[in-house]
Amino acid sequence: MDARTVFYIILSLPALCALVALSKKLSTDVIHWVNRVTATIVTAAIIYLGIIYDGNYAYSTEYFYLDALSMWMLIIITILYFSMAWIGKSYLEREHSSRGYLSKSPDLIGRYYALSQAFVWCMYLVLIVKNLGLMWVAIEATTLISALLVSFKFNRTALEAAWKYVMVCTVGICFAFIGTLILYYAQTTAIGSLHALNWVYLYENAASLDPALAKLAFCFLFVGYGTKIGLAPMHSWLPDAYSEAPSLTSGMLSGALCTCAIYVFLRNVVIVMPSVGLEFITQLSLTFAILTVAVAVPFVVVQRDIKRMLAYSSLENIGLMVAGIGLFTTLSLKATLLHMFNHALIKFVLFYIAGTIIQEYRTKNMMRIHGMVAQVPHTSTFWLLGIIGILGMPPLGLFFSKFYILESFFKSGYNLAGAIVIVLLAGVLIGLLYHAVRMLCGKPRRPAEADLPDSIDTTVLIALLLATCVVSAGLSEIAYMNNLIDNAVKILTGGMPL
Amino acid sequence: MEYLVILLLLIVFVQTRIMDLKRSIYCLSLQALVIAIACLVVGFEHAEGFEAIIPSLMTLTIKVVCIPYIMLRLVGQITDETEIKSNINVNYSTAASALFLLLSYMIIDKVLPATAARDILAASIFVILTGLNLIVMRRRAIMQMVGLITMENGIYLLGLMMTEGLPLVIELGVFLDVLIAVVVLVILTSHLRLSFKTTDTNVLRKLKG
Repeated sequence: MDARTVFYIILSLPALCALVALSKKLSTDVIHWVNRVTATIVTAAIIYLGIIYDGNYAYSTEYFYLDALSMWMLIIITILYFSMAWIGKSYLEREHSSRGYLSKSPDLIGRYYALSQAFVWCMYLVLIVKNLGLMWVAIEATTLISALLVSFKFNRTALEAAWKYVMVCTVGICFAFIGTLILYYAQTTAIGSLHALNWVYLYENAASLDPALAKLAFCFLFVGYGTKIGLAPMHSWLPDAYSEAPSLTSGMLSGALCTCAIYVFLRNVVIVMPSVGLEFITQLSLTFAILTVAVAVPFVVVQRDIKRMLAYSSLENIGLMVAGIGLFTTLSLKATLLHMFNHALIKFVLFYIAGTIIQEYRTKNMMRIHGMVAQVPHTSTFWLLGIIGILGMPPLGLFFSKFYILESFFKSGYNLAGAIVIVLLAGVLIGLLYHAVRMLCGKPRRPAEADLPDSIDTTVLIALLLATCVVSAGLSEIAYMNNLIDNAVKILTGGMPL
Repeated sequence: MEYLVILLLLIVFVQTRIMDLKRSIYCLSLQALVIAIACLVVGFEHAEGFEAIIPSLMTLTIKVVCIPYIMLRLVGQITDETEIKSNINVNYSTAASALFLLLSYMIIDKVLPATAARDILAASIFVILTGLNLIVMRRRAIMQMVGLITMENGIYLLGLMMTEGLPLVIELGVFLDVLIAVVVLVILTSHLRLSFKTTDTNVLRKLKG
């Protein structure tokens, strides 16, 4: 069995599962297990791929492509996919039995699984195609499928969020398409139209692209994929979509989809880097990244909606990641890749716990939740751990990646920018910690449902949090991951022949 | 080709003035027809046989027939058909379009001086800008969809002229995406109608901060 077979498994099973779930032939109990088994087999396939593929070379066929960078992203997406499948059952059952949005009809659970599987399928497609045009097609497809997930509750606010999401993201992503077209035009004028938009071919001939055209293409790509990533000021869809989607989907949007969008952006940056030059890319990225972090601060501090607060915290982390890409040193890129891993896992945990808190207290308003420690000890433990993690406190993994990104600011000589970012991060810390601690402590004023997470949930959540600690703190000890991330950085900085 | 450009400009100008949902969709279909013909012309210049007509055939089936059909079915369910009188007058959007036409010629002369396909490239940028303008200025959900597809048409035309057509797989994917986008938007719009009793997107202003 070679990598190609694994790709076929990855691309066929989730699609098949989606069709089965949509057909309504199976009872809800069976669909839960079909979903779990599918995710487990796909995870096993990815682990097998990790065993046969060590990340030291690039695996390439006519349409598929795999190198250390995409392997790293595949690991992130797969961890989230696996966790979502295993903790999804109890979450959806609670949503069904209580007065949640699934209580109207049990068929909705099947529809939810079908859409989730299709969504994951699209994200896998983004990561393994070789062609920049096809990457664009897959990214656009993720927007459209996740729009149906965002609007899944079909109440007024969910519809509003989904409408804004589709409109803003589709227009934004159309700009990215113009950028891709300009890149293709640059390719045809410089090196001929053979291997159109083939990433490997462009990577090898990146230096011969016309600088003016490449610069124009980069501007369009930056705006386009920047919208999809959620950079300010194109972020207006982000808090709405994250807060209105079902909590599992919010975790996927924040963890997995954002990772995919940044991945495609990275692939494009690498192509235009030699002809555009580092300075332009750094200035543009840093400006927008700092703006993004700055936008997040006031909204976190005054926020009342628990999931919107998490969405703005995502915005802050997105800003840091784009800043890391903009600095484009070995250290900053390594830190960014690590940050994507940590942020995806921790944010997934946080959104899941936020969903649980909403189920327990039947409100999204943080101001009406007090004394969680006394009422729901399990949930509050994870809530506190997640908040500590996302703020970048040790020992959770985000501490290391955040620290490295900040370090690379000063090492690259952007002292002022680094200082500004630190001040802004302190603002986010104060806001998030204030809200979290206020929810945890004090006297309970509102009855809560029982402490909801069951044993599978807590196991998965603990595993995710621990994974960030272990991978970040012990990166140099885990030979496989370390090799993968080093090779990925080499690919990005152009030091690795494919 | 010059006649096609003039025809396209005319259709898009008319598009900015139409307030009736059905007529606006017919106009959209007509717009796609012009692009399908342009596709055919370009196709025969650069390729031979079946490959030359595939893109134009796809434009014809998806953009001229399928998408307008889906949208017309949706419009059939909606009772209050005309665009709600915008506070911004229609004349403004037409005037803006005229400005966009000048602007797009200026952009083309600056970015790609002395290109052979100057007129049609300028026309495609004009179509993109007008589509954006429609999305921003119109309030009805369906009119915003029309704007989105107009913009997408313009980008497609731009790609066609700049690069002599994309590889077939990518083109297929792009068409599929457009089709899914319309289906998703139609689903959302019909739910808008059920929840809000209107398809005016100005009611969507609850989420803030």
